[in-house]
Amino acid sequence: MSKGFASNFRMTLIAVAVLACFLGVGIRLIFLHVIDRDDLLKFVNKARRQIVVEQARRGAILDTKGALLATSRSFVVVGVDPEMMNPEDIKSWPEMARLLKLPRAELSGVLQNSMKVGRQALANSLTPALENKRVRWVKLAEEVDEDVYDQITKLKVRGVYGARNFKRIYPGDTLAAHVIGYVNKEGVAVTGAEHHLDIYLKGEDGWIESEKDGARRELAQFRSREVPVQDGNDVVLTIDSVVQYMIENELKLIADKYRPKFATIIVSEPHTGRILGLANYPNYNLNAFEKAPLDAQRNNAVTDIIEPGSTFKIVAAGAALDLGIVTPASIFDCGQTSILYKNRQLKLPKEDEPFENLSVADIVAHSSNRGAAQLAMLMGEENFYSYARKYGFGQSTKFQLGGEVRGILEQPKNWDGLTITRMPMGHSIAATPLQVHMAMSAVANGGTLLRPQILKEIRDAKGNIVRTFAPEKREQVLKPSTAAVLAQLLHRVFTEGTAKGFEIPGFELAGKTGTTQKIIDGKYVSNRHVSSFVGFFPASRPEVVISVIVDDAKMSKGIAYGRAVAVPAFKHIAEQLIQYLDITPLMIPTSGALASNGGAR
Amino acid sequence: MRPPPPNTLVNKIVALTLCLLVFSGTLGLGAVWVRQEIFSTANRSNVLETKLADVERRLDEVDAGVAIALNPASLLRRNETMRLGLEAPKQIQVVRMQGSPETRLALKRNQEIFSLSTTARKSGPTAGNARLVTASFP
Repeated sequence: MSKGFASNFRMTLIAVAVLACFLGVGIRLIFLHVIDRDDLLKFVNKARRQIVVEQARRGAILDTKGALLATSRSFVVVGVDPEMMNPEDIKSWPEMARLLKLPRAELSGVLQNSMKVGRQALANSLTPALENKRVRWVKLAEEVDEDVYDQITKLKVRGVYGARNFKRIYPGDTLAAHVIGYVNKEGVAVTGAEHHLDIYLKGEDGWIESEKDGARRELAQFRSREVPVQDGNDVVLTIDSVVQYMIENELKLIADKYRPKFATIIVSEPHTGRILGLANYPNYNLNAFEKAPLDAQRNNAVTDIIEPGSTFKIVAAGAALDLGIVTPASIFDCGQTSILYKNRQLKLPKEDEPFENLSVADIVAHSSNRGAAQLAMLMGEENFYSYARKYGFGQSTKFQLGGEVRGILEQPKNWDGLTITRMPMGHSIAATPLQVHMAMSAVANGGTLLRPQILKEIRDAKGNIVRTFAPEKREQVLKPSTAAVLAQLLHRVFTEGTAKGFEIPGFELAGKTGTTQKIIDGKYVSNRHVSSFVGFFPASRPEVVISVIVDDAKMSKGIAYGRAVAVPAFKHIAEQLIQYLDITPLMIPTSGALASNGGAR
Repeated sequence: MRPPPPNTLVNKIVALTLCLLVFSGTLGLGAVWVRQEIFSTANRSNVLETKLADVERRLDEVDAGVAIALNPASLLRRNETMRLGLEAPKQIQVVRMQGSPETRLALKRNQEIFSLSTTARKSGPTAGNARLVTASFP
């Protein structure tokens, strides 16, 4: 065998070198896989793995006819990653400034600073201690429209990118502001339907765990876990935008004319309890809620209490008729100033005009305080109190948007000697405008008190109805026959009572005026009033209930009677509703219609 | 019987090895192809999802725009700026009648064309209440 050309030493050296290389590789692998494993995994995860949260779209709020009252719209927050900025893109900055509607100098300043910070950060990134201080996002503009963002991306400025956010917008601005409420800048639903129906509206965010490439694009094939986003449900209210607009417009007229402290108008359907419109003055713009004073954000219809005044006389009259202790023709002496009651001579309240003998029908029509007091005395405190409770006073109406107060209705044991003469005319009791409205609705609904309905249905993100809300009966206040009689008595308010002159021929308007002196510093004052009118029509088959309540109307002369302040507004709203809701008259007028003469007078 | 020449066995082994190589190569290439398909499908579906989300976002934007335009206050403003003079009808302008207005108008037109008898008019179908609103009100 021939001797090899290499010496044994050389062979050994090569073998050792090769082994050393293998050993080096082995040691490195041990370091990579065992010793530095956790740190390296952390780094890899940070560099490649990502969890992308998909924001759920908040459901919309719609009116009864499907018009949008509140919706979510996406906006882009545009920012820049200082470390990715490229000096060659400087030429695109002026165009970007134009698109972002920023002064050119301001944007250039921000971008140049960012670039400097980026370079510094890149240098610092070599120092582990400063690794966490790297700035990767500098905000340039908020609420950039999608179209504008598309144009910005077309500029291909390196490092400039956007993050999408949903923002709540309210197409009607002030329309139904107190009903809808708003979501604040932190995304917290603060008031109204937004707050109380948040559970339906908010939806559930989804998330995706996956990996990204060097350009931060998702590598969809490496998705390991995915929780799908669940968009919020849409909430359909019973509010009708057109009716709401009508009453808000009416409130503006009232506000301009009388400069009240607050005013409320409510319109509802008596047979379902559905609220078609609920508006308060002062109002505010939902898209600029941050500028609205807190007072303007109060839903006075449920948060404020007033003495209902003469509108409360429906309790005494309804109860007395329902108990069968009087008929509409029963006569009472309303000229007397005091009366013997339970062995005590009680002073009767004053009247606005002198009366003598009045029937129950006249007591209602002419709003006699003494007549109402005598009706209550005839049935006694317990019966009167029981009926007041049945009408819903002193308790929650279970309004679905919450925030309501219960009002004040003391038990008879807490009444003083005069309460039985004062409460029937709507003093010594406090109620929210909605309570008064629902009490009148009970009369219009055959004596059945319903829960006020503001929610119509809930729809999922695909538009399928997932829940509907049916009318809810709360109490049978009056027998249907009594309610029908009382409705006719309330119609007489228009034909010969306190609202005479405001009737609409053929439509049997019915209702009750109310004028209450305000209590200032614990005393009734004669120059400040709550004026109200609560009514419905047509009296024989009620289709709509309207309440107009004006607190502290400033009159140029005279007293702010319900007749002067609230009844004209009631009539004006009724005229519009007749056309809009196509309410047919009970008797079709045969003459006087322009159309029958081809539009000629 | 003579045993097979030794190179036949080697040939068989070589052939089998080659087959195995081709088979495993095909499997490997197939796996790569499947992986590539998964990758491209995932990316395509991701692109579609993004597009869908984009369309939905834009749809929301359009819906919001439509809602703003259809707001009663906006419509009234437009009525003023475009000088359309549109107004809600007043009760005095409305005549209520029995039967369908379309049928009545059709009967009227046909009567003019074909001189139909009044008997035909009476036998026309009657639907619920309808109302006719005059076009103008001074």
